[in-house]
Amino acid sequence: MERDLEQLNSALNSVKILRSNVRRVFESVSNGLRADHGDDGKESKYILELQELLTTVNNNLRDVENSMSNLTPPPGPFSLGNTTYLSQETTQERQALYGQLVNTYKWTDKIREYSALAGNILAANSFNKTYKTFSTTKRRKTQTSNHNVPPEVIENLITSIDRLFPDVTITTNSPFVPNPVIQGRVLKAIIAFKGLMIEWVVVKAHAESNDLWTESRYKVFRKVTENCHAAMCHFYSPMMPELAVRSFLHWFHSYNTLFSAPCKRCANHLHNNLPPTWRDLRNLEPYHEECK
Amino acid sequence: MGVTILTQFPTENRTGPQTIDVLSKRIMALGAVQQGQFLVDCETYTSVPQLGPQRTVHVLHNSEQPATVFSLLETGSKTIPLATDGLFDLLMMKMSSFYTSKKQTKAESKGPRYEIGDFCVKLGTVTVSSNFKGILVEVEYKPCVVPAMCWDLLKEFLQGFLGLSGPTNPPTYLQNRMQEIYSPIDTIHQYLEHFTLFRKSPGIGMRP
Ligand SMILES: [Zn+2]
Repeated sequence: MERDLEQLNSALNSVKILRSNVRRVFESVSNGLRADHGDDGKESKYILELQELLTTVNNNLRDVENSMSNLTPPPGPFSLGNTTYLSQETTQERQALYGQLVNTYKWTDKIREYSALAGNILAANSFNKTYKTFSTTKRRKTQTSNHNVPPEVIENLITSIDRLFPDVTITTNSPFVPNPVIQGRVLKAIIAFKGLMIEWVVVKAHAESNDLWTESRYKVFRKVTENCHAAMCHFYSPMMPELAVRSFLHWFHSYNTLFSAPCKRCANHLHNNLPPTWRDLRNLEPYHEECK
Repeated sequence: MGVTILTQFPTENRTGPQTIDVLSKRIMALGAVQQGQFLVDCETYTSVPQLGPQRTVHVLHNSEQPATVFSLLETGSKTIPLATDGLFDLLMMKMSSFYTSKKQTKAESKGPRYEIGDFCVKLGTVTVSSNFKGILVEVEYKPCVVPAMCWDLLKEFLQGFLGLSGPTNPPTYLQNRMQEIYSPIDTIHQYLEHFTLFRKSPGIGMRP
């Protein structure tokens, strides 16, 4: 490929040289005898000049033929798909579209190349943030590495997680935007998904509204919401989005003891009039904000 | 509406206002902010003999739910709770020929109301027909609606605030409802329980 390009470049270059020298021949022919040919034997001087120019053209032509013979002809016509029709565009402002299209193509091609590199580097330095307990080999096969999935996939994921935790119910009330509401006896959480990624979480009291945009009126749930955002970023894993969602919800489920479990460090229920609002990311143990 | 625990605080040698003063100083020291006053009152009506077996209706108001009138009908075998709007008071007046009230039984608990974190604390001076009877402390933990889940937490809060006088067991009314979702009528039940006890107890004799 690299060599082909080089040869194509040198072939184009020799065509350019040939063209410029042919132009010089015609220039000379059209000008005829000039003052700088002098008086004595001006015809023979002129013919000599023309001869020289034609020899150069001849050499150039040989160069072109040589470089041509080095090129490998393409196997058949290029398939440009629908883009071929762009070249037949007649309206003025759309004629530039083909160039833009090519640029865009090059750009995405580069992105693909760079992201593949980045992916390799990141895979070599894994952070191991998500819980491997979920990733049995059977599941891994079905796991998608793409977060941009049809809504059914998200719905299926939510129902499968719902089955994991019998003490809470997870419902999606909107048919188009799957913002599932997790409703337990302790609290409720409204989660916004973007594809398979968790975009936003709001935790509220049992009786508060299902509105994603207003925070809870209770301090304890505002604190839990804050901690959920931290955990959401912690579990975020673009390579395994489904596992990230499962890990997050597994962690989140430990809040079913929000009011009943004392702090692991100070053994009290209350600190600053708040229960332990933090759950350890690995062992899910409850801690006060100040005790973790 | 969160889980609410109502507990009596002994006055020992202090008067009612002195006790309230001690408790409000303690809760302020913990960082509470006073948010107005509160009032819970209770009027009890009994059916006239012509209606057959005697039934009792307790009508209660709670300033926390100002648009609601709570009533508890005691038939002897069971208690039927009812939450209605303000018109119920007028209905009871219309029925004064069937249900009569003994004026000297009107009980109420009133006093300052505090907020501290997600807790709401009310220090109530209890009077029965204007006679001082004692002190009721109400603590509500607003975010939680299941008593069993936050009882230990509430106990810790109450003991941190009331010391040894804090309760060691859930109120009797709540004991077999610990797993149920708490609602305002449960608070009303607890007040009625305490008011009934206060009515039976001889007056402490101290002016409020
Ligand atoms: Zn702690």
